[in-house]
Parts: sequence; structure tokens; C-alpha cells
Amino acid sequence: MTLARPALSLRALVPLGATLAAFAVGLALIETTGASPAAALGAFLDGAFGTGYAISASLNRAAVYALVGFGFILPARAGLTNVGGEGQIAVGGIAATAVALYGGVSGLPLGLAFVLPALAAMVAGALWAGLAAVLKTRAGTNEVISTLLLSFIAVWMVYWSVQSEALLRQPMTSGATLPESLSIPDATQIPLLTGDYSAPVTVGAPFVLVLGIGVYLLLARSAFGFRLALLGQNPTAAARAGIAVERATIAVFLIAGALGGLAGAYMLQGDQYALKAGFSSGYGFDGLVVGLLARGRVAGVIAGALLFGFLRSGGITMEMVTGVPTALVQIVQGLIVVFLAGSALWLNRTETR
Amino acid sequence: MTWDLFAVFLGSTIRLAAPLLFAAIGELISERAGVLNMSVEGMMLTGAFAAAVGAAMTGSPLLGVLAGLIAVLPVALLQAVLTNALKANQIVTGIGINILILGATTLGYRELFGNRSETQIPGFGLWTPPGLGQIPALGTQTFPQVWLVYLLIPLAFGVWFVLARTGLGVALRAAGDAPLAVAHSGVRVGALRYCAIVATGLFASLGGAFMSVGDIHTFTEGMTNGAGYLAISAVIFGNWRLGRTVLACLIFGAAKALQFQLPAMGIHAPSALLIMMPYLLALIAVAGLVGRQRAPAALARPFP
Repeated sequence: MTLARPALSLRALVPLGATLAAFAVGLALIETTGASPAAALGAFLDGAFGTGYAISASLNRAAVYALVGFGFILPARAGLTNVGGEGQIAVGGIAATAVALYGGVSGLPLGLAFVLPALAAMVAGALWAGLAAVLKTRAGTNEVISTLLLSFIAVWMVYWSVQSEALLRQPMTSGATLPESLSIPDATQIPLLTGDYSAPVTVGAPFVLVLGIGVYLLLARSAFGFRLALLGQNPTAAARAGIAVERATIAVFLIAGALGGLAGAYMLQGDQYALKAGFSSGYGFDGLVVGLLARGRVAGVIAGALLFGFLRSGGITMEMVTGVPTALVQIVQGLIVVFLAGSALWLNRTETR
Repeated sequence: MTWDLFAVFLGSTIRLAAPLLFAAIGELISERAGVLNMSVEGMMLTGAFAAAVGAAMTGSPLLGVLAGLIAVLPVALLQAVLTNALKANQIVTGIGINILILGATTLGYRELFGNRSETQIPGFGLWTPPGLGQIPALGTQTFPQVWLVYLLIPLAFGVWFVLARTGLGVALRAAGDAPLAVAHSGVRVGALRYCAIVATGLFASLGGAFMSVGDIHTFTEGMTNGAGYLAISAVIFGNWRLGRTVLACLIFGAAKALQFQLPAMGIHAPSALLIMMPYLLALIAVAGLVGRQRAPAALARPFP
């Protein structure tokens, strides 16, 4: 692919402009609600960057978004759309919980205690996405539709598994026992980078960066990545050129699903520690948006993941401190998406010129 | 199940299917024209919110419905401009608009009605079509519905007639199956898709308004809670055909009614399975396990 790319400055300036414009609208809205924009912004920044805890929470969130985003741009290279991140997170969370609690892994040495549940989550996510790929290659089912439906099914599977004691619900000791799983053992939690719960960023965060490099190499430097790109440009020509289209389709969905499943493991073993209904709540769709806006680039995924990660964390603190609803952050986030989606045509033009 | 219970079940099935029916019939119009309109969720929420605000301010639920129909227009136009003029990805704009509307309606509601209040707003009463009230059980348990439910019958026939029997319908369906051919015949694909998206918005808004001023007479934050996605699933399960889409909505409504009815009858089925069922059915349908599935060929593809 020898498409001329727009100057780096333009590629960076458009998202920056979109973000700033969305923020400006957000501040104007705060003004109309009668709260002080300065106070709200202060609380927002405090919630995003103010403490080690805030930064850690934002980074953990960003890591999850990045994993889902990678799982989007990989199939996208082959012209395939994976909107199933939410479901892959959900089945990953279920698998990680099951193995961490009942797989007998908590006594294992060498970090296997937390690696094995994460691997189980990756397998579950891969199979979940693989189902969509098989439907695509065997029955011609549009993968947008199948991955979307599989997401909703998986979300309710989480609900089911924490409602039923035969599945993952903690034993009922009283009527007040919450419908959630037991907390996973300490050994199965992803270790903290700082070793301190006041700044609970996990070793998973730098690992996600390493994975990002891997995704970049896979897309830009490997024969597999080249095959995906050919497939994305013209499936018929790719098939004539001897590329096994079905195998490539299934393979890329398995990888994407594994990344989504890993995101579920990260949320469970690095943040929430117990499976609850609504476990994935919107992470998958936020991550999907990160992937969509990244325009196929790993660096774009990481930048978007950090932006959305800090946005969400800051919004939560802003609501707690100043009473400005976190709905405002949703508005800002939605506007960023709409602005960026709207500028895609213009960016594409400058890109192919 | 006694006859009385069955009448109650039928009544709640229709009531729970109604918002889906509005949204799914609307969504069908867009999808037949080649637009996978994910923002139908946001459009419903806009309708629910604006109808609630309109009804609360004027005291008239009818004016509320009108407010919902007007408020959804900018949302539909935004979706249309982004996906047609700017050729943005239909899925990303849909999700973006849904996030935006969820935030905007939540913020707006708290500003207007105060934090987390569930203020009662003026809503529609129940209406029984003349002559049907005398039927035992059905007359008192099934047929009394908000009049919007009965509006669905002419609306559904109207959409069927336009899609199947008019030149506009042929052009609209062709815009989803072979947009290039439409363009070559001198009809503007973009204009057709604009109209389709606006129609979807109006239908979805009625569905949302039914939820707030029709059914529960209040607005709650994010009250559509995935109904728009359920409507999209109904279109898929309905194989992009009107009759089957309507049937799908009724089945989904029945599944929801059973969630409430089964525990009342002392039957404990996992409610998750019932909630999941519509999506499972849609997946089974789209996997080609029940007859051949045919989506519009150019669905979700910008033109040109």
C-alpha cells in the first residue's frame, strides 16, 4: 500500500480540534446548568490526573479500551467489522471468573495463577468472535449483525451466571446476598505495577502497549498483515491470488476475539475482582468507538483509549464533587465521535490525494 | 393458564411490543434503503424525552407527541448528513449519536425536573375500540390500550403499501439493493436515503413517546434501555420483510410479558433466557437456520 498520507500534523490536528470543540460545548453546557465551569473543570482534571489513584484508574480503563480497539482494527484491515467487543469482554469475564474461582489455579507458582484465567478469557473471546467468522464464511452472515447480536447474548449470559447459584453466583447466606460472584483470590488478581492499592495500575497496562507493538508489526510487517490488506482492498482479487479467504477471516476474528476476551480478564482481574451483572457496561462500545476513530492505526487506538479513559474517570469525579452530571461527559464523548466521523471524508480525501 | 390470565398476557404483549413495532417499522424503511440506522435507539430516547417535556409543559400529551416528532428531526438530519453527505461510517455515527442523546436527555431531564425525580406527567388514558369492550376477558384485559397502539395498524399498512405498491417504494428498495442502478436511472440515492432516515426518526420518536406519555406517564434516564437495538434485531429476524418484522416484534413483546407473568404463575424460568431470547432468535435467523436470509445488498454501505 503506497497511499500518500497527510502530514502527521494534519492527522493529529483534526482529532485534537474535534476534542477541543467538544470540550468547548461541554463547558458552555456547564455554564447553562448554573454550575461554575472552572470548578467543574477543576474537579474533572482532579478526577483524571489529580492523584495516583485517579491516573491509575484512567490508565486501567484506557488499557481495556485499547484492547477492544486493537480487536477492531485487525479485522478492519481485511474489510471486516467486529462490533462484538462488548460480548467478547463479557464471555472473557465469565471465563476468567470461572477459572479464577473454581479452576484450582490460585496455588500455582510463576504467575500462572493470574495468567491461566486470562488465557481462558482469551480462548472464550476467540471462540465467541470465531462463531461470527464461521457464520460469515459458511452462511454468508453479515458480521456486523452477528457480532452485535452475540454481544447482547453475552451480556445477558453474564446476568444469568451471576443470578444462578448453579453457575457463578456466590452462595446465598442471607436474603441480602448480592447477585454477583465471589471475589477472586488475591493470587489470581493481575499484580499491581506499583505494588500499592493507592495507585492500582496493573502490570497489564504496559503489557497492552507491548501488545500494541505486536499488532502494529502484524499489520505492517507480516505476511498475514499483507494478506489481510489485500483481502480488504478486493476480496475477489485476493481469492484469485491464492489467499485462503476463509482461513484468513477466521484467523483474524480469533485474534480479535482473544484481545476482547483479554479485555474482559483485565477488567475482572485488574479492577472489579468479582463478576456482576452489567459487568461490561459500555466498555465494549466505547472501545469500539476508539477502534473506529483510530482509522486503522495502532497509535490512533492508544491515543483514543487514553482520551476516553481519562474522560470517563474525570467525569465520575466531576459529578461527585460539583454535582455536574457525568452525562455531560457522555455528551462530550458523543460529540467527539460525531465530529471525527464527520471529518473522515475530508481526511480520506487528503489521504488518497 | 386461565382465559383471564391469557387475556392479560395478550394485552401486555401488545403493550410491550408497541414501542418495538414503531421503531422496527421505521428501521425497516432505512434498512431497505441501505442505511443500517443504529441511532434508532437515540431517536426513540429523543421522542420519549421531548414528549415527556412537551406534555409536562403544555399539559397535553398530544402536544407532547408532536414535540417528540419535531425534536427527532435534527437527530435524523444529523444521522442523514453524516452518513450521506459526509459518507461517515453508519455504525460509528449511530453509536456516537446514541451516546450523545443519552447524555443530553439525562442532563436535560435533571435540569428540568431535578435529580432522579420521577415526576408524573400528563399521559394518555386507555381506549377500547367501539364494540370490542363487550367481549369477555379480552374486552377488559386486552383491547383497552393507548390509542397509539391502534395507530400502528394504518401506519403498518401504509408502509407496506408504499414499499410494495408504489414507484417510491421500488426506488427506495433499489437504493438498498442496487444504488448504482438507481443513480443511473436518474434518481438521487442520497435524497431517498435522507427521506428514509427522517421517516425512521418519526416512527422511532412515536415509539419513544409511547413509552413515556403513553405507557408509564413519566420519563426515566435512558428509559429506552436497548429497545432500539431490539427493534434492529426484529428487522433482522423479520428478514427485512414487513410482515415478519411485525411478527418478530410481537414475539419479542410476548417474551417480555412472560418475564412478568411466569413468576406470577409460580413458574421459575431463568429470566435471563427470556430476555436473551429475541437476540438468540435473531441470530438463529441470520445464521440461515430458518430459511434463506436476504439482507439488502448495499446495507451499511455509503453511496457512491
